[in-house]
Amino acid sequence: MKRIDPTVIAETRYVAAFVAILSVLLQAVFLIIGKWDITVLLGNILSALVAIVNFFLLGVTVTKAMTKDEKDMGAYMKLSKTYRFLMVILICGLGIYFKCFNDIAVIVPLFFPNVAIFIRGFKLKNQTTSEGGEQNAV
Amino acid sequence: MEIAIGIMLCGCALGAGIAMIAGIGPGIGEGNAVAKACEAIGRQPESKSAVTSTLIMGCALAETTGLYALVIALLLILLAPGRFVDILVAAVK
Repeated sequence: MKRIDPTVIAETRYVAAFVAILSVLLQAVFLIIGKWDITVLLGNILSALVAIVNFFLLGVTVTKAMTKDEKDMGAYMKLSKTYRFLMVILICGLGIYFKCFNDIAVIVPLFFPNVAIFIRGFKLKNQTTSEGGEQNAV
Repeated sequence: MEIAIGIMLCGCALGAGIAMIAGIGPGIGEGNAVAKACEAIGRQPESKSAVTSTLIMGCALAETTGLYALVIALLLILLAPGRFVDILVAAVK
C-alpha cells in the first residue's frame, strides 16, 4: 500500500474535527426543538462518515492525479468523482429510504465539509490581512 | 387519478434527471484545477504542500454544486412521489 500524502491526512483531520463539532450542534438543535430521537443520531453518524470518507477519497484522488499525464488527469478526476458520487447516492439513498435514519439528519451533514472550508477561507483571509500580505502585494 | 399520479411520478423522475446535469460541471472543473495546480508546482516545487492543500479544498468546494444536485435528485426520487401522491389523494377526497 502506498503512503498517503501528509497534506491529505492533515486536511481530512481538520474536516473530520469540524464535521464532529457541527454534528454535535445539529444534535443540539434537534434536542432544542424537541424532535430528537435515535434516528437523528443514526442518520447523522451515517452521513458524517460518508462526508469524511468522500473528502478523504477526494484528497487521495487529487494527489494521485497530480502524478499522471495532463491528458489522463481530467479523466481520472471525472472517474473518481463518478465513483464517489455513486457511493454517496447509494449510502444516502439507503439512509433516506429506510426509516431508521432521519431524512434531514442524513442530508445536512453532507454539507459540513463545505462549511469547514468556508470558515478556513475566512481565517486565511484574516491572517493574510493582519500580516499585511495583500497590502504588501499591492 | 392514475393518469395524474403517472404524470406526477414522470415529473419527479424528469426533475431528478435534469438536476443531475449539474453533476457534470464539477468533474470538468476539478480536472482543469488539477492541471493548473500541476503547472504551479512545476514552476515552484517548494510550494507543493500549500498548492495541494488549496487544491483539495477548492475541489471539495467545487463538488458542492454536484452535491446540491444529488440531494435534490434523491429527494425527488425517494421522498417527493409519496408526499405528492398523498397531497393529491387528500385533495381529491
